[in-house]
Amino acid sequence: MTQRYLILEDGSAYAGKAFGSLATTTGEIVANSTMNGYQEIISNQIYHNQIIVFTQPSIGNTGLDQNAYESILPSAKGVIVREYENLATDHFKRISLDRYLKQHKIPGIYDVDTRQIRHHLQQFGNMKASIVDVADDHAFDQLHATVLTNQQVAQVATPKPYPNPDDGDNVVVVDFGLKSGILRELSKRNCNITVVPWDSSSETILDLDPDGIVLSTGPGAPFNLPDSILQMIRDVQSQVPLFGMGLGHELFALANGAKVVKMRVEHHGSNHPIREIITNEIFFSAQEQGYAVDPKSIDHAKLFITHVDLVNGTVQGLRHRDYPAISVQFSPDGAPGPKDSVGLFDDFIEFMARRRDSNGDRY
Amino acid sequence: MAIDIKKVLLLGGGPTSIGHENELDAAAFERVMALKKTGAQIIYVDNNPFSFASEEIQPANVYVQEVNFQNVINIIDKEKPDAIMATTGGLNAMQIAWQLAESDVLTTNNITLLGMRPTDLKKVIDNQKLRNLLTEINEQVIASKIVANDEEAMDFVRDVGFPVIVKPISPSHDTSRFICNNTDELEDALEVSFKRTYIKRCSIEQSIVGYKEIEMVGLRDSNGNKILISGLEDMDPIGIHSGDSIIFAPTQTLINEEYQALRTATFRIMDALNIAGTCHVQFAQSRTDSNYFVTKVSPFFTRNTLLAAKATGYPLTYVSSFLELGYTLTEIKLPTKYSKYLAFMEPTMDHVVVKIPLWPFRDITDVDQHLNTLMKSVGSTIGIGRTVEEAIIKAMHSSQFSPRDILPSVSTVDDDAVINQLIHPLASRILILMEALRRGFSIDELSELTRIDRFYFYKLNQLLRAQDFVINNPLSAQAVEIGHNYGFGDGMLAELWQVNISTIRRINRNCNPVTYKEVEPSAGEFRETTNIFYSSYELENESKSDSGKTALVIGRGGNQLGPNSAADYYTSQILWTLKKSGYKTIIMNTNPNAVSLTPQLSDKQYIEPIQLGNILNIVSLEKPDVMFLPGNRHYLSNELEKFADLNMIVLPPDQKVAKYKNHQATTAIDVFIDQDKIIPITSISFFTRSDRTEVRYINDYQQPMEQWQTDETELISKALKLLDTSKWQGLVQVLFNKVDSHYHFSGIRPIRITETAFLTKTTGVNWVNALVKKHLGILDFNQLEKQLIPETHQRYSIMKAHFPFRELQSSRTDGTTRQEVGASLSFKNMSNT
Repeated sequence: MTQRYLILEDGSAYAGKAFGSLATTTGEIVANSTMNGYQEIISNQIYHNQIIVFTQPSIGNTGLDQNAYESILPSAKGVIVREYENLATDHFKRISLDRYLKQHKIPGIYDVDTRQIRHHLQQFGNMKASIVDVADDHAFDQLHATVLTNQQVAQVATPKPYPNPDDGDNVVVVDFGLKSGILRELSKRNCNITVVPWDSSSETILDLDPDGIVLSTGPGAPFNLPDSILQMIRDVQSQVPLFGMGLGHELFALANGAKVVKMRVEHHGSNHPIREIITNEIFFSAQEQGYAVDPKSIDHAKLFITHVDLVNGTVQGLRHRDYPAISVQFSPDGAPGPKDSVGLFDDFIEFMARRRDSNGDRY
Repeated sequence: MAIDIKKVLLLGGGPTSIGHENELDAAAFERVMALKKTGAQIIYVDNNPFSFASEEIQPANVYVQEVNFQNVINIIDKEKPDAIMATTGGLNAMQIAWQLAESDVLTTNNITLLGMRPTDLKKVIDNQKLRNLLTEINEQVIASKIVANDEEAMDFVRDVGFPVIVKPISPSHDTSRFICNNTDELEDALEVSFKRTYIKRCSIEQSIVGYKEIEMVGLRDSNGNKILISGLEDMDPIGIHSGDSIIFAPTQTLINEEYQALRTATFRIMDALNIAGTCHVQFAQSRTDSNYFVTKVSPFFTRNTLLAAKATGYPLTYVSSFLELGYTLTEIKLPTKYSKYLAFMEPTMDHVVVKIPLWPFRDITDVDQHLNTLMKSVGSTIGIGRTVEEAIIKAMHSSQFSPRDILPSVSTVDDDAVINQLIHPLASRILILMEALRRGFSIDELSELTRIDRFYFYKLNQLLRAQDFVINNPLSAQAVEIGHNYGFGDGMLAELWQVNISTIRRINRNCNPVTYKEVEPSAGEFRETTNIFYSSYELENESKSDSGKTALVIGRGGNQLGPNSAADYYTSQILWTLKKSGYKTIIMNTNPNAVSLTPQLSDKQYIEPIQLGNILNIVSLEKPDVMFLPGNRHYLSNELEKFADLNMIVLPPDQKVAKYKNHQATTAIDVFIDQDKIIPITSISFFTRSDRTEVRYINDYQQPMEQWQTDETELISKALKLLDTSKWQGLVQVLFNKVDSHYHFSGIRPIRITETAFLTKTTGVNWVNALVKKHLGILDFNQLEKQLIPETHQRYSIMKAHFPFRELQSSRTDGTTRQEVGASLSFKNMSNT
């Protein structure tokens, strides 16, 4: 068991044992408190350039399941956990977590006090971190010198469009670092999907004759993306039903004049109650949130808030006043996390059906 | 909207038994504390003499009666409550609530049933209606049929095939079930079952033996908001009763899809039943695909509901009390120690909890000890750790009931017996699993034989390897570190290496010191102050010692037979007295069902094995001003006495100080002695079912004694003359044996725990309180004397022991004091005799 270190930008260092790849990496460190679905979490592109601290004490217990990848090429920069289990369930033809991380060059450290790290991050906020062999001055110098890219979306999103055919509604999914859960839910509803690159123009998208458009989840800050994206959103939202999630939600908000701010501490978990304002009901969903729409900046002539997080008060859902366009900050597909809000996909299907029924008269 | 309640009738859980420990009393106690905040008047009915909850209610409002339909109706007639709460009274109370609804008692008296509407309750109580409901909401249930004869049973089997499970239909008792793999077994099972049902009906169902058993505990408010408190995974497959299974929280071997499907199903079921409060749903999860069955729906407090609360640190009982009263999750105001969001945040854990059941086979040996669908355990104990291994070792440790810190071994069992026990498990199951691994059985083979997920064998294997390393590298700092990491306490290391514990503590100085982590439901997101801690050897210690006067109370751990539920009552009284006397109280315990672990009774809780090493670690951190050791624990008290700076009080004093002239007794005089002053409390008559007079069989008591009118005064003065106050202090009992109307002196002993509880209930004086105060030097003797005004006896109080013989299918009827599982209390008017 090789000893390795997690070092943080503020000078703290944690010794632990290595698993997965032995690569030296640097990324932004975030804690995730969702209790199930380590596979979905690690393979979610939202963690591009991030080191994930699992508060769940033990991961790897069930191996990796062929049906539960959120992307084929995970690009997280590290996995930190109290205890990991290198199990593969032959029965389901699963591979082990260790093997998976090695394949994808993701380093892991276990046997560290993840609860203390969580407390530390809650107190001091987001920061850079590295996984290194030696926690010496050189390592810290390297860490401080590393400038993390702000071009995450371009690095993970598909460069070329591709179809996922079926015989239902034509849905164009704009890929900002798409998680597969979105495709899975659309497929369950028989959507005929075309996934297009993040920088596709409104013409390219509308030429595909979509019944609806999905703005996907993805990594990084929405304001690092060019304004052309916001223009694309403004162009299409008046034409076809729109559904944004995660980064897609933040972009939808920006496109309609709202501001997005970086949170002091990223929130990754599924324990916060989200209130649906119209029904006053609360539910739970996986949240992987580093940015939040500033509620004060919302132009109420264009948007209204549909969901809020009852713990930190952040905006969790928006709807356009004039168009059938909705967006949510969380991941309603429940991969991982609760499926309480999976019905939002049905709402989206309903929007498309209504548009067809009205023969597009409104547009 | 909150329902306006002026007077609420709370149904108690009754005497403890197999299938029901102190958890209902613990829940009732927390509930009473919560209800008090609403200003509602509480009426309570229960005949458990060890009920702590009932003591927080005005005595005039407590009905010491069996919780049954007729008694409840009489109470309703007299008290005219406007609401009934049945969810902390177990299945029995829910059935009574249903009967009240069915017989229109609720509507005619305008009584609201809290938690569920009567129409929905009916769907839970009536099995067929529940099946219909589940089918309606697309939840799969096991094929099942009620049959009246063998032919109907055979017809059913022709449809669904073997294996099937047969159980007699009997209203009181739902535990006996038989798995049948072929026609012969079916015939045998039907024969036995038809004998056990007076309505001559049996249920027969498709068997899902070998499936994983998963449990979910959820909360719902009257607006339909829901949160999942915790998932629980039984290590043992379906086929072993959940109450006899080792349970893990959180679930360990479910993938996200499976877990979320069960969570969603739980919510759907709570919605369909319009539950306001808690609900515990059990599932059978296939090992080969995502298929599952709903096996049990319990919209009331169960052991595992409380386990889920203990595991997460979520104040479940408190919150659900308000939910039943109609509050919504977001309206509930929690006590200030919790963050304001906590009530409606879904608990998330960063630790592992393992529950291991405790079986009564040490005290009742002549019964079938195999674990099957019939529950046999009488208690349980939990271990909490930051890793699965650590939690397993701690739970195993606590389940051994030896404070000597030994990891027991079953290496003497021969190979055939090992294989036999793998297939037909006994109580020592986990030890056999480890032994099989040690002997080189492959994990696949073991998983196949036992239907236990391979994951658990990997974990047990890691533990074995750690243990081997520790044994082979004695007294090395590395072995200490590895030992600590896997949950081996200092006492255990000392035992393995045959050295004194202080030697280990010296090596320790070079290792990471012990740290304590808080059990709280946000996984470190918020700094909660649940003040529930467990140990681990990591970096950050979250438990800070309190300033001010502190008292540490060493709990008894999981229930076994004997005076255990009484001991929990006794321990709770000690805590309560200390708290009311201005001490900061610290409890150490591992029994998830204990009243003594309810948050109101202590400022701090340590869920740690009750072992010497763990106690010393806590003592060095907390430096308590006083330490209480309730119950007879010779080894612990002897060992702890070696540490001179511990101000330790053992209550009641060790029974070894008892002086017997002979071991026969029929009558006793109970007294309280403080310095040279003696207060006679009362006389007692002893009974046994078989008219024995041996002391060890005495389990039934009556206060006052038979023929008290003529004999009591004289016997009291006789007793007082026999007592030497320089030798006897506190609660003391003078025993007499009556032969031919002569009372012969048989001995003097400290009053036992069960009888102390009995005395407290019958005399109206809290004797544990008096004892604790006496030891703290703050007893007001004159006031105590005034409280106990001698008066003519108005009634007989009778406490009768309950034995688990019927549940264990033993033909015994009379047991010893070490075999009782609980007791019932009743009163009899003098005029009736």
